[in-house]
Amino acid sequence: MVDVGLVVANLVYGLLIGIIYGIATVGLNMIFGVLKIVNVGHGAFIMVGAYVTLLLFTLAGVTPPLTILASMAVGIGLGLIFYYLVIKYLVDAPELATLLATFAIGVLLQEIVKAFMGADSRGFTWNLGNVEVAGVSVALSKVVAALFSIALLGIIYLVIYRTKLGLAIRAVVQDREGAMVVGVDVDRIYAVSFALGIMVTVASGSILAMYLQSGIHPYMGEIYTLKGFVIAVMAGLGSIPGAFIAGILFGLFENLSYVALQSIEGIQPLVLTRSIAFLLLLIILLVKPSGLFQR
Amino acid sequence: MMPGVDPWVVREAMRKSAPTLIFYLVLLGLYLALPQYSQFIATILFYAILGQAFNIFMGMTGYVDFGYVAFLASGAYAFSLAAIALSNAGITGWIFIPIGMAFAALVAAILASLVGAIALRLRGAYFAIATIGVNEGLRYFVEGANLFGGSIGLYIVKNLKALVGREGYQLAATLLADLLMFLLAAITVLVTGLILSSRLGYALQAIREDEDAAKALGINVTRYKVTAFIISGMLGGMLGALNWALKGGVVEPAHVFFILYTVEAIVIVMLGGAGTLLGPVFGAITYIGLNYISNVYVAPILEGVGIKATGLHLIILAPILLAIIIAAPNGIVGLLKERVKNPRIRSFIT
Repeated sequence: MVDVGLVVANLVYGLLIGIIYGIATVGLNMIFGVLKIVNVGHGAFIMVGAYVTLLLFTLAGVTPPLTILASMAVGIGLGLIFYYLVIKYLVDAPELATLLATFAIGVLLQEIVKAFMGADSRGFTWNLGNVEVAGVSVALSKVVAALFSIALLGIIYLVIYRTKLGLAIRAVVQDREGAMVVGVDVDRIYAVSFALGIMVTVASGSILAMYLQSGIHPYMGEIYTLKGFVIAVMAGLGSIPGAFIAGILFGLFENLSYVALQSIEGIQPLVLTRSIAFLLLLIILLVKPSGLFQR
Repeated sequence: MMPGVDPWVVREAMRKSAPTLIFYLVLLGLYLALPQYSQFIATILFYAILGQAFNIFMGMTGYVDFGYVAFLASGAYAFSLAAIALSNAGITGWIFIPIGMAFAALVAAILASLVGAIALRLRGAYFAIATIGVNEGLRYFVEGANLFGGSIGLYIVKNLKALVGREGYQLAATLLADLLMFLLAAITVLVTGLILSSRLGYALQAIREDEDAAKALGINVTRYKVTAFIISGMLGGMLGALNWALKGGVVEPAHVFFILYTVEAIVIVMLGGAGTLLGPVFGAITYIGLNYISNVYVAPILEGVGIKATGLHLIILAPILLAIIIAAPNGIVGLLKERVKNPRIRSFIT
């Protein structure tokens, strides 16, 4: 019936990819938490990070972990550009405006990358050998990718809970007017938070590329927008630690559903797991739209 | 509840619909008079209906459905399945068109009720999030579970020929399909006019302005939102059935679930003016015009400096959409309403 080895292997892989899903959703939730904006173009920023790693590694031979730093810089740049060109004018606009605007930004990024890089799916090989995790042989590069996700989460945690800037961000989240009264420059905090959120997202694209090493194309982000939303809604929009935990849960769920679907004949389990993400989203929205970790 | 009973509502709906209906009549005249441009005109028609049908929900409620193309896809699938079933059962003749269209509208309505019942209880952002998955979720379900031809899709030309013969099919896939599109355009305009003039339209407007206040006034916001969502979805389903199944004869998941159509619908509605009748028409013409300019004039220049220009129009569309959202959120019709002071002309800008 059920192959125990297969289940354990998928639990390990689910945990590793889940950690990456987690970091890939932190930026989405951060931007919603501070600016109350849903970044519909989320996946496109992940795609940009994947291309940063692909290009730096294949053209300049930069080792993938170092490309994360480049992605963070690119993310801050993109975040500031889009904040001051677009988002700044829409902070108090109806929700429809920001939904459409972030959607348009995502489309723009995809098309720019496509214009310069073409639509072909690309990949690279960065082989570090294998390690044993819970008796399962896993590529070391995948484990390294998961470790860098945790490190990045640590950095974000330190910025938000241990710096003056983080204090100001948390003040704006709690009470925008109150923060303004005590002298917080809310516009600046919005800009910084948006840039930080995009920074984590682009960096998570690099980490994802390190993990997958294939399937890098201009539209690869779309499925991560969907998965990001499933995870964000599971966590409760706006919660940063929640996003990370929900990411891991989602990774485990996805891999186990793949195992279950494999036992059904005449279907394509890998394609069908993508529908599962959507079904899960509808169920969570139906049962507990405020998220699993919030009351 | 049903509009159309009150004569004032009907008169008001006719007044509001008239300018847009006149436009479609002119377009029909051009279509018949200039056969060499008929496919260009049919393209404008397709996008105008797409905008018009999408507008009924997004324009009037302020909610955005990122998975709208799923309605077009479900209609195209339903129409094809009906045609296949009828030809297999040996029920030949033109009856397949009304049956197929009714089935397309029904399936789209069922999809809209299911999605709407779950997602429309949620407010703005959560609704948008839910709809993002509808399109991809359905597509990968069809492909993954190998339903209706899986990732290959349905080819129904053979079935259509079995139903109405070779000559009948030639007619159905060309002139007849286009004329039915004109009919669908007129229906969509009249439905929009009726909604705008009826209780439903005023309720939707109240919801768009301030949903909490509308709720407090005793308006059943979920019911009105779901009603608009179903109407918008049914019209989209019929559009997909006509344009892809009847006219194209092919329903491929990668094409009928293509997110580009949703992007185009959003751009057309925002460009023309959300919630207005003439808006989607202006939006469609401007959009096709921009597309033409970018393909014919801008693309060769970029090609010259080594940038691949296929699908380039999106690169131009996205900044245009951003500019509209920031600078002119009411679109072309909104700008016209601000500029035109003459009350007689103003009454035509609906």
